[in-house]
Amino acid sequence: MTSPLVEIRGLEKRFDLSGSLLEQITFKGGRFQRKQEAVHAINGVDLQVHKGEALCVVGESGCGKSTIARTVMGLLSPSAGEVHYGDQRIDNLKGRDVLPYRRKMQMIFQNPYASLNPRMTIQQTLEEPIHFHRPDLARNEVRGKVQEVMESVGIDPDWGSRFGHEFSGGQRQRIAIARALAVDPEFIVADEPISALDVSIQAQVLNLLMEAQETRNLTYLFITHDLAVVEHFGTRVAVMYLGRVCELAETKTLFAEPRHPYTQALLSAIPRLEDARPNYIRLQGEVPTPVNLPSGCVFHGRCPYANERCRQEIPQMIATDGGAQVACHAVEEGRL
Amino acid sequence: MKSDTPLLEVKDLDVRFAVRGGDLTALRGISFSLDKGERLGLVGESGAGKSVAAFSILNLIARPGYIAGGQILFEGKDLAAMSERELRKIRGNRIAMIFQDPMMTLNPVLSIGTQMVEAIKAHRRVSTKAARDIALSKLRKVQIPSPEKRLDQYPHELSGGMRQRVIIAIALLLDPEIIVADEPTTALDVTIQAEIMALLLDLCEQENVALMLITHDLGVVSQVTQRMLVMYSGRIIEQGPTREIINDAQHPYTQGLINALPQMGEPGARLFQIPGSMPSLKNVPTGCPFHPRCDFATDQCRKTMPEYVRSGNVDVACYEVSNLIEQEKNMQEAGS
Repeated sequence: MTSPLVEIRGLEKRFDLSGSLLEQITFKGGRFQRKQEAVHAINGVDLQVHKGEALCVVGESGCGKSTIARTVMGLLSPSAGEVHYGDQRIDNLKGRDVLPYRRKMQMIFQNPYASLNPRMTIQQTLEEPIHFHRPDLARNEVRGKVQEVMESVGIDPDWGSRFGHEFSGGQRQRIAIARALAVDPEFIVADEPISALDVSIQAQVLNLLMEAQETRNLTYLFITHDLAVVEHFGTRVAVMYLGRVCELAETKTLFAEPRHPYTQALLSAIPRLEDARPNYIRLQGEVPTPVNLPSGCVFHGRCPYANERCRQEIPQMIATDGGAQVACHAVEEGRL
Repeated sequence: MKSDTPLLEVKDLDVRFAVRGGDLTALRGISFSLDKGERLGLVGESGAGKSVAAFSILNLIARPGYIAGGQILFEGKDLAAMSERELRKIRGNRIAMIFQDPMMTLNPVLSIGTQMVEAIKAHRRVSTKAARDIALSKLRKVQIPSPEKRLDQYPHELSGGMRQRVIIAIALLLDPEIIVADEPTTALDVTIQAEIMALLLDLCEQENVALMLITHDLGVVSQVTQRMLVMYSGRIIEQGPTREIINDAQHPYTQGLINALPQMGEPGARLFQIPGSMPSLKNVPTGCPFHPRCDFATDQCRKTMPEYVRSGNVDVACYEVSNLIEQEKNMQEAGS
């Protein structure tokens, strides 16, 4: 087994809601009390991304998938836990030490209308990261590089003098991908890269991402809510619920035999073309707030198989016979 | 006995937007009908004119848009020629509408109960008490937990799925004949989307309400509707029974849309992609608007817009399809 390219260990991320010290203090029943509240976005996640694979993280809004993407990229600092790149811990690096990793790791965002600077031409947009990360390159070398990435994403290099607003959504996303590829990264974090696009354009961008993976030997951490895309694109899938990974498996295994009750419900909710009627597993209630996490298994309030143990004890990841990893007491006890 | 006149019949509808530099044609020669209790899906990508079509049914096209020609017959009366006063009796009362974003539809400063009572009183002369009772019964119908409590709550106190349930309850308040739903679940998570769609389907069947569902999601259309229209660049290019189109689409665009879905491709293989993107209304190509992206385009396609031909129970506007039908006919004649 080779060591993973990127590894997340015991990652936690909390966002403080309570404000400054004075805002936290309340006067109640004759005494002062200090109250602190936080959104528990990620609660102990371990993930390994292997070289050359596309690890997909799926889940519904608020499950912490985007927070994982941002924490891995160093855009957020973890509240606890570590992020490793190769054999180097990177979440605690400062200043110049981060730079080489910033070049090796690039990010593609969801909304290509917001992620391109409207006041820069495409040429400037694509040159900037190269100038920054490769100051050794001469002007014409930079230009050649820009031309090469533009061609590789299917954007005519003659359009370099245009601005972002002159392009359609699909073309903008191509440009955003070109910008990520311009510095020859090894690892790309893509946060819902096709959610804002139309169906026929989604296929184009997905194909482009797969081509880039093949020709440039890229590794992806792919964040999405769209399970159909995962089934097509992912090497492995991590299903998240309320800041925890509830199931992690090879894509084929997960879709053929989902084990966790939440994964089963999520898969059944995909509207399939061959269905003539909605056909899904009904869950009780709604996703609880990540401010006050439920005790025990975070899913127990909605789970049809929950028992007393699920309400008390947090389930750990266990390996199943099928090769998947599941955090569920019912699976562990053979009840499911 | 089935009456001959459909509940709603749209004939040759043209909608234009008067902008600087001439009119933009948003809808061109749209014709379709909707029977009592029937569920019709309207599919297309952004810019195809789906929402304009939905809005025009209620004659809600705001300036600079206007209905340039054609008729919208609701029970034989032309909505396009009606005064605002007459229209107000139909909107919300006989034909109700559900929009994409529930937070934009609900008034944030009024309680749910107030908003529902207001809607009832606008159309019926009933006491506030009686109106509240109707509101309560509709909230029960959409399976909202503790409906009495919800009447006094404000929209921000409800989750997204719950808000969309309230919107559906409001649409049902006056027992309409038609519900027009414009992307009702796009803003929601997959599991919630499945619930809301199943609910909408059940209600339409129970109450025998006709549904016009606008969506970009072919899976949803397949699960919920009986007939579907496919729109491209302001035209209907294919319409017929949903199953027939999903299983055996005729128009190259519809085929492309279906084949571009990740669930159709082999996992990891390159997805089918339609090259290019939908033309802007400012420069719609001559002839068939799809010809620049179509593999089968001929000179005829570039020059004139194809008429509808019938293939099975499906109406298609495509020369390739009509030529194929012609050939088949000739072969049969030669054979006999």
